[in-house]
Amino acid sequence: MSVAAEVQLPAPWRIVARQIENATGDVFSWTLEPCGEAGGAAFRPGQFNMLYAYGLGEVPISIAGVEPGALRHTLRAVGGVTRALARLEAGEVIGLRGPYGSAWPLEAAQGGDLVIVAGGLGLAPLRQAIVQALAQRERYGRVCILYGTRTPADVLYGGELAAWAARRDVEFAITVDRASAGWGGEVGVVTRLVARASFDPERTTALVCGPEIMMRFTAEALLKRGVPQASIHLSLERNMKCAVGYCGHCQLGPHFICRDGPVLPWPRLAGLLEVPEL
Amino acid sequence: MTLRELVESQRFCQGLEPGQCEGLAACVSERTFAPGEYLLRQHAPADTFHLVLDGQVQIKLALPGQGIVTLETVGPGEAVGWSWFLPPHRCQFDARAVTPTRTLAFAAAPLRELMEREPAIGYAVLKTLVATLSERVQSCRLQVLDVYAPPAGVP
Repeated sequence: MSVAAEVQLPAPWRIVARQIENATGDVFSWTLEPCGEAGGAAFRPGQFNMLYAYGLGEVPISIAGVEPGALRHTLRAVGGVTRALARLEAGEVIGLRGPYGSAWPLEAAQGGDLVIVAGGLGLAPLRQAIVQALAQRERYGRVCILYGTRTPADVLYGGELAAWAARRDVEFAITVDRASAGWGGEVGVVTRLVARASFDPERTTALVCGPEIMMRFTAEALLKRGVPQASIHLSLERNMKCAVGYCGHCQLGPHFICRDGPVLPWPRLAGLLEVPEL
Repeated sequence: MTLRELVESQRFCQGLEPGQCEGLAACVSERTFAPGEYLLRQHAPADTFHLVLDGQVQIKLALPGQGIVTLETVGPGEAVGWSWFLPPHRCQFDARAVTPTRTLAFAAAPLRELMEREPAIGYAVLKTLVATLSERVQSCRLQVLDVYAPPAGVP
């Protein structure tokens, strides 16, 4: 078997735990363990795996957690494949191939401030980056976590968010686009939080993930604060198929998002996110 | 810190000359609001314009049959209210303190008089006000887009 063929062969991984991640109940996480040898691949925050519902199809899903001998993925049931995956219970087996793509530049960010801006389900690809950064908190200057989502019921990872918010060495802010009656927190788009956050723009690395329009305006808010273009990193989502840069399904201008991304610095994306045809 | 220094230190006033800030400082007082207290009330005369120094303020609107809805929250460095600038000078929304809140409260009538009398100050304030309004409109557009809704046509 060729190397290329080996890379694209899904390995069986067992769902060992499944949990609902928000109050609306449409987002869930799996803890996955390999059925055999894991293969020794290093899974880095920001990368993604192709998850295979046997007989139905594959979907690219970002890595939300890396634990000893296990992976965590967070999914929302929105299409045929993800709805089929959502029906699986703990103990069942899926196919997994990966990891693919680029990772968040956590090492390069050390020594400076770290600003993490997540929108909606975009918190999932950033979760492991936050976990790792907080585990090595002394290596960073100020750490700001800014999270915007649709409604209070859509807030992900409630328990973990409370723990991050309680830390004195983290500036944490959350906002919703539409408030319910009992919500006493911030209301408005997440870009507004960028203007208020305390960080030194010139020595900041920004990690941004969410809907593309949200990322575009967040990048503009960061640029307005004075964050250098090359220090702003976005995670793009496209319809990955092969995941290794062969098929072109995920092409965005000159970039194959599966191979060159999904994490890309702003200078390589500026302008591309404003083109309707892309 | 004097009122003039407070005015000068505001992001809202960054485009103004020191002398212009002195003129503005003559129209301003410092106010504090307890949680639940209102800075502005819908339909009331828009006689004050606030810049938030500390705290968090909800901009709210009563919707028939749906109660009172929070449209957005405003924090330090941000402006509350612009009905003071345009006739009929009536507040369009409620503004309510969520946390202990401190503001620079500009008296609307003397501020408008100052802007008429000193067009340079008027133009400088207007440029800042329009920039703020532009940011708010852009934010509202993004809110209306409902960008976090589940996407259609995905596998």
